[in-house]
Amino acid sequence: MARMKFLCDAERCIECNGCVTACKNENEVPWGVNRRRVVTINDGVVGAEKSISVACMHCSDAPCMAVCPVDCFYRTDDGVVLHDKDLCIGCGYCFYACPFGAPQFPQAGAFGLRGKMDKCTFCAGGPEPDRSDAEFRKYGRNRLAEGKLPACAEMCSTKALLGGDGDVIADIYRERVLRRGRGADLWGWSSAYGVKPGAQPPVQQPAPTRGKS
Amino acid sequence: MRRTLLTLGLVVVAAGAAAQAPAPSGAQQQQERQTTQPGNNAPVMREIKSGEKHYTGIQGRETGVLIQPPARFPGQSAMATAGEAWRNFRNGPVTFYGGWLVVLVIAAILGFYAWKGPVKLHEPPSGRQLRRFSPFEMTVHWSAAISFCVLGISGLTMFFGKHILLPIIGYTLFAWFTALCKNLHNFIAPLFIVSVVVMIFMWLRDNLPRAYDWQWFGKAWAFFARGEHIPSGRFNAGEKAWFWGGVILLSAFVAWSGVILLFPNFDQSRAVMQDAWSVHAIAALIYITVSLGHIYMGTIGVEGAYGNMRHGYTDETWAKEHHSIWYEEVKSGRRPEAAGGAVPEGAPHMKEKP
Repeated sequence: MARMKFLCDAERCIECNGCVTACKNENEVPWGVNRRRVVTINDGVVGAEKSISVACMHCSDAPCMAVCPVDCFYRTDDGVVLHDKDLCIGCGYCFYACPFGAPQFPQAGAFGLRGKMDKCTFCAGGPEPDRSDAEFRKYGRNRLAEGKLPACAEMCSTKALLGGDGDVIADIYRERVLRRGRGADLWGWSSAYGVKPGAQPPVQQPAPTRGKS
Repeated sequence: MRRTLLTLGLVVVAAGAAAQAPAPSGAQQQQERQTTQPGNNAPVMREIKSGEKHYTGIQGRETGVLIQPPARFPGQSAMATAGEAWRNFRNGPVTFYGGWLVVLVIAAILGFYAWKGPVKLHEPPSGRQLRRFSPFEMTVHWSAAISFCVLGISGLTMFFGKHILLPIIGYTLFAWFTALCKNLHNFIAPLFIVSVVVMIFMWLRDNLPRAYDWQWFGKAWAFFARGEHIPSGRFNAGEKAWFWGGVILLSAFVAWSGVILLFPNFDQSRAVMQDAWSVHAIAALIYITVSLGHIYMGTIGVEGAYGNMRHGYTDETWAKEHHSIWYEEVKSGRRPEAAGGAVPEGAPHMKEKP
């Protein structure tokens, strides 16, 4: 079984925001919500500018999942972290806990009252039946069920953003680093998929009892 | 004034610059590294890890931060990203110690009740009633009390329900109930804050500490265990401690942190929200624990206590035994608002049983 991960190559990202647009279009994300964003470090400084595209990294030991008061998150067999909007109460705790700022909250009322959380699904939909209208309305396209990879990575013009099985994309990245002899900094992976110093390696999660496999 | 401060600031900055050349910025470091070691992005990676804001085309709160900066909460030995550190603090010590604190205090109170039972009146009720609380005081007290209970129960559900209620009632019902709890928590909170502010001014005078209050603490155990009475004013020293420590101090912590969490539309950063949540949860758990003592004393723990706040009247015997100094004040006419008068039908408690 694949373990789905995202990888962004800072040597290749040109800050075109194609991934952001692809995501918004593919999933018809609500106004004001961006599941993916591109951040540029040292913007405009020649020789020092780097860009990185970031969204939910589908962490191995996901903090959002751990702090959710109603336990609305689940992990698919592909390692994708999804959530159930019918259960979400819009408390915002996942947003406080997420290192990457992935969870988004459409404003649902006065005084910043939060609606139900929305985030990147790795184009894998939600708990509703695959490719159903209900699934599309709440979570966007289920491209994994169609045998495709996430729209953002597929659309990336420089293939800086890779999405897919962690072993496969890590191999692609390793080959690139060897070939170009530089830029080996694998951004975000230690936070998202790493083993904490001194901790036991994460135990394989049992198959989720809810949601689809 | 602003001009003066600006000038002062410039002088300080200039002095600092003269003393020591400013450290090169991350961008400068990366530029330099690019010429000496092309492809070495360590300075950029350091900039990312520091959690500062960078440029992004996406509008929103902290969208320019790629990863939360490192942080460490109390009791943690190592730094982690702030979100991870908060998660470990919340799911670790706050859940464990906070949960057991509430459970053990409930068990201790019930155990004490089973062992010693309630504090009873020594003399039979006289049948003569005194005005102990005005209708205004009762309204304020019950507004605060009922909203406190709603906030406490909804808060405990949002914090511990996942571990206790969810396995029993299932995902769908629990999520519905927790959503209800969240909305009640958010909309009842302002009522609680207003009630408490009014209560503070209403009862401030009667809660000022007096010299005779000190002996209450020395004899408190004799009162709980054997029903021995300690001379007290309108409020005894235990009630005064609850007033200053709970109604004022803990309310201040809970309300201030709660308002920060309640209005996320002021662009508070995640770090502020994590800290506010931590203060809110810890103060609220202590508040709930202490309130259990107050609720016990006001209901099943002391004979006649509940009726005083329920009806506003108390029997002279009760007043004489529990608040003798207040009783003397009333009897000598120094508290005209409490002096007997007509007792309505609605004050039947503590009447002598036929």
